[in-house]
Amino acid sequence: MKKITTIVLFVSLVGLGSTELASQCNPDNFASACIPKLASGFNFLKSYKVDGEGGAKDKVEYSYVFTKGTQYMINLCANGATTDGIVVSLFDSGRNKVATSKINGQFISAIAYPCNATGIYYIQYTFDGSTNKCGGSALGFKR
Amino acid sequence: MRIVLIGLVAAFLFASCGKSKKPEDQDFLNSLDSAKKGPSIDNEVINSILQQIPSPLEISVLLKESGKKYNAGILNSTDNTSKYNSNYKKALNLGIYGTDLGYTNIYQQNQDGIKYLASIKQLANELNIGQFFDIETISKLATNSKNLDSLLLITTQNFNDINKYLQTQGRANLSVLLLTGGWLEAMEITCQVAAQDPKNKELKEKIGEQKIILEQIVLLFSFYKDDENMASLLNDLNNLKAAFDKINITYTYKESTMEIVNGVAVIKDNSTTTIDVTDEDIKNITSITNSIRNKIAS
Repeated sequence: MKKITTIVLFVSLVGLGSTELASQCNPDNFASACIPKLASGFNFLKSYKVDGEGGAKDKVEYSYVFTKGTQYMINLCANGATTDGIVVSLFDSGRNKVATSKINGQFISAIAYPCNATGIYYIQYTFDGSTNKCGGSALGFKR
Repeated sequence: MRIVLIGLVAAFLFASCGKSKKPEDQDFLNSLDSAKKGPSIDNEVINSILQQIPSPLEISVLLKESGKKYNAGILNSTDNTSKYNSNYKKALNLGIYGTDLGYTNIYQQNQDGIKYLASIKQLANELNIGQFFDIETISKLATNSKNLDSLLLITTQNFNDINKYLQTQGRANLSVLLLTGGWLEAMEITCQVAAQDPKNKELKEKIGEQKIILEQIVLLFSFYKDDENMASLLNDLNNLKAAFDKINITYTYKESTMEIVNGVAVIKDNSTTTIDVTDEDIKNITSITNSIRNKIAS
């Protein structure tokens, strides 16, 4: 009987523990923290959650219509001072890459994109050696 | 053994309490009177299209920065608020007033802004989403022009939160209406300003490029054809789309270049779009937009 009790207790504790682990990534907090980090003069548009779900996802993607004559900024927030290996790339509607935050092996925490061509753009987040695969991002604009 | 069982029951209740639905959420779901039938496609698809729709604030900033004067006469009067009796009309006009609020904020017309806030709060309350508007904070910010950045930030966040909430509640149809109302009002404002300055090429192009956004909105509405109100509005939007179909947008891709400036990757976009739009196109689009917008706002 004692054995069964121990097993049942162990299973339920593991169950609770896994629920706790799954909820450890809080991309909402990172996304909110990113909003005030938009450079001066940029108006906030959207915040994005970047949750790799512990490795289950290798990319997270959103889309937005960017317009000619407007400058956009996309920044990244993750654990620590760096981007924790999170890279943001921008693709046009034909899936041509127009921007990335990884330049010459260097992880940059923000990209500024003065748009010259109106259209649907894909904002893609990938994990390049990321430990937590968890972060947030904000999009802003200025004329 | 009894202690173990009690412990397990407590653990189960603890683990599942986060998933329970709040009573007010249920009230909200029960309150909807429009488009009860859900779309036959994945909500994720709808949500991914919804998030593409640009903020109407972008157009207000363009108008202000190109030196256009503030004109309250082109906005939807707050006197109309009490006329909106269905959730369909409330959601559309909540979007319209949201754009009007953004316009008054950008031009720092605080007294008008406070009137729009009151209408927004009323419609949001009636749709059971009033909890997302912190009207006291927004009103305080609106009284001082130094708070413009905070004011724009908090109002944008409030509308984003509403849209996210509606989508997570499986009521994206209201989110579609809210965003469409907001877009139509931005179109109406742009067309009316352009009518006063018919030689302004930038404004004509700004109207012409809305073709891309309208295509996405029409796609969204096509998922809700079973709803009588939305089907009727889809019909109107298709008329507008027919006018936009005459406009040619040509995109030319050319690889961009990048450099790091003060820790920011600054992109030089070498791609271009050319928008071929005639005065006749603008005239037709202005007329149809005005007709749809007035039908909704009246």
